[in-house]
Amino acid sequence: MGLISKLAWRNIFRQKRRTILTVLTMTGGFVLSSLSIGWMDGSYSGMILFFTNHQTGQVQVHKDGYLDNPSIYDTIDNYNSVGERISNQDNVRSWAPRIYVGALLASRDPGVSDGIYSNSAAAAVIGIDPVMEENATAFSEQIIEGEMLTVSEADSSLRATGQILLGKQLAVMLNASVGDSLVLFSQAADGSGADRKYAVRGIVSTGSNEVDRTTCYLTLADTQLLFALENRVHEIAVMTTSLREVDKVAAEISLATDSLGLSTASWKVFAKEFYAGMKADETQLKIMLAIIIGVAALGVLNTILMMVLERRREFGVMKAIGTKPKSIVRMIVLEANVMGLVSVLLGGVLSTIGLLILSKHGMILDPPLDYGGFVFREMVASITPACYWIPSLSVMITSSVVSLIPALKAAHTDAAKSLRTV
Amino acid sequence: MSNNKNVIETRGLKKTYEDGGVPVEAVRGIDFTLTKGEFTAIIGPSGSGKTTFLNLMAGLDSPTDGEVELSGNLISKMSGKELSNYRRDHIGFIFQAYNLFPVLTVEENVEYIMLLQGIHKKERHERVMQILEQVELENFAHRLPSKLSGGQQQRVAVARAMVSRPALVIADEPTANLDSKTSGDLLDMMKKLNEETGMTFLFSTHDEIVMKRARKVVTIRDGLLFKSEEEK
Repeated sequence: MGLISKLAWRNIFRQKRRTILTVLTMTGGFVLSSLSIGWMDGSYSGMILFFTNHQTGQVQVHKDGYLDNPSIYDTIDNYNSVGERISNQDNVRSWAPRIYVGALLASRDPGVSDGIYSNSAAAAVIGIDPVMEENATAFSEQIIEGEMLTVSEADSSLRATGQILLGKQLAVMLNASVGDSLVLFSQAADGSGADRKYAVRGIVSTGSNEVDRTTCYLTLADTQLLFALENRVHEIAVMTTSLREVDKVAAEISLATDSLGLSTASWKVFAKEFYAGMKADETQLKIMLAIIIGVAALGVLNTILMMVLERRREFGVMKAIGTKPKSIVRMIVLEANVMGLVSVLLGGVLSTIGLLILSKHGMILDPPLDYGGFVFREMVASITPACYWIPSLSVMITSSVVSLIPALKAAHTDAAKSLRTV
Repeated sequence: MSNNKNVIETRGLKKTYEDGGVPVEAVRGIDFTLTKGEFTAIIGPSGSGKTTFLNLMAGLDSPTDGEVELSGNLISKMSGKELSNYRRDHIGFIFQAYNLFPVLTVEENVEYIMLLQGIHKKERHERVMQILEQVELENFAHRLPSKLSGGQQQRVAVARAMVSRPALVIADEPTANLDSKTSGDLLDMMKKLNEETGMTFLFSTHDEIVMKRARKVVTIRDGLLFKSEEEK
């Protein structure tokens, strides 16, 4: 150990109480930062996974312009071959085709088998392939009553299944339950009327009140048959193997499908309001972290300034006997860095404990949080490298920067003057 | 032009301070020469300019006018870095309040300057042990200064000042914090070291014990060299 390092190391133990207080201040800053990052990361990862896994997918492919101006006519033709191209890309876990159309639903009051269809509501109809949707989004987990749609035989026999799933609130509006019949009215892509009677097979709760109030689900084949969209879909939702790969996957799919007049978007684009909200929250987090680190920095600055003031005479002696000013600067910055390092280690241990607890038990939100139309009832933290490297870097940079001013002050001590001070 | 035997020489040395906007002439043109092996005390009442004069010679303060020449080098013309090296290599300091580093052991305090000089570990150890033996502290090498008496701490300071074999040892009121017996013992030891090593010592003091043992006593009053008592 060099002379300056030796002095720095031993000086740390001169005022043990003050050193402990300084270390605890920095440790507190570390732990708060780490937990905030873990909490934020965990919450957002959970939210993103929740709404992409259960509904949107992480990447979507549409006909050019569809996302900005959806139209029944802007379809992906030969969607199976497009889907094959997509599934050949790296990090693609699964894909699911979908059709989006609008319709009017009408139902009769319960127990009135031959009465008029007195209850009606406008609805978005989503045509899904039950098997592929299940592989991609585990859609059936959202069915709170009844059962999942069965595979349509329409492709081979041109016979529809006649099954429909209703959003939870939509079912309430229509006063419809599992087993009830209702009629769907709309217009097909070829201009013909599209109407048919369906039996309610299940009730869906997606976690989004807005979606559950306005959405019903048919099998893809039923929808294609009813709306004259044979072999065509509006959207291919893609699930990736990791959220971190989303941008890369989107770029690769875009490259593979660009020539077909299709456009690819990641959830950051097609859920841009959610993404913008998340970014705004991230900015808030950064401001909060800056405040936490700033408060810790002030504490450290105060301690080191006091230390420099108390050791002014000693710095005078050091300079008098030939110690270079830069060595004095190095010594003081090193003292602060050692305290910073101890804080990082201690903070790392405490943060891990806190993060493990928060990631395992999470926090029940009562009342639930409605974020971007999705309702979240529980939030959990996640343990990511950012929970450690950001606070570590902040503490080390802060300890260096904050100690630099007192260190320069000490290095410029007037030896003759300080030696006169008793 | 300086004589080869001169360790330090000042010519027309002046220092004026600003004290609350009022100029104070602390040193008003001192010509002074110290030859090798001297054991000289500078005396004078408080505020006479003793410490300022020592600081100027040590390169801790820069003169308003005049020159300081040590072993042929004009220190009044040196840059901050050169002065730092000059003090490290040519001047040994003994302070009134000992001013040892409290976190370093006796051995480490004494070897500090040699570490700055980049002297090899083996040589450092040998020289430290030799000087600690001379100041009779060889058994205290691993103690911290706080575990030593005032007299012992000042002996460590003497060892620290001498270990790098400087051209000049400057001691500012070295006995001010010691009782008379300890002061006498310390001065006897320093005088013995002066005789053995031929190193040059310059004290500022009020203490009669120091004055009695000094071979030459120089009086400063009102920033001027007033009287020089010849060698005893």
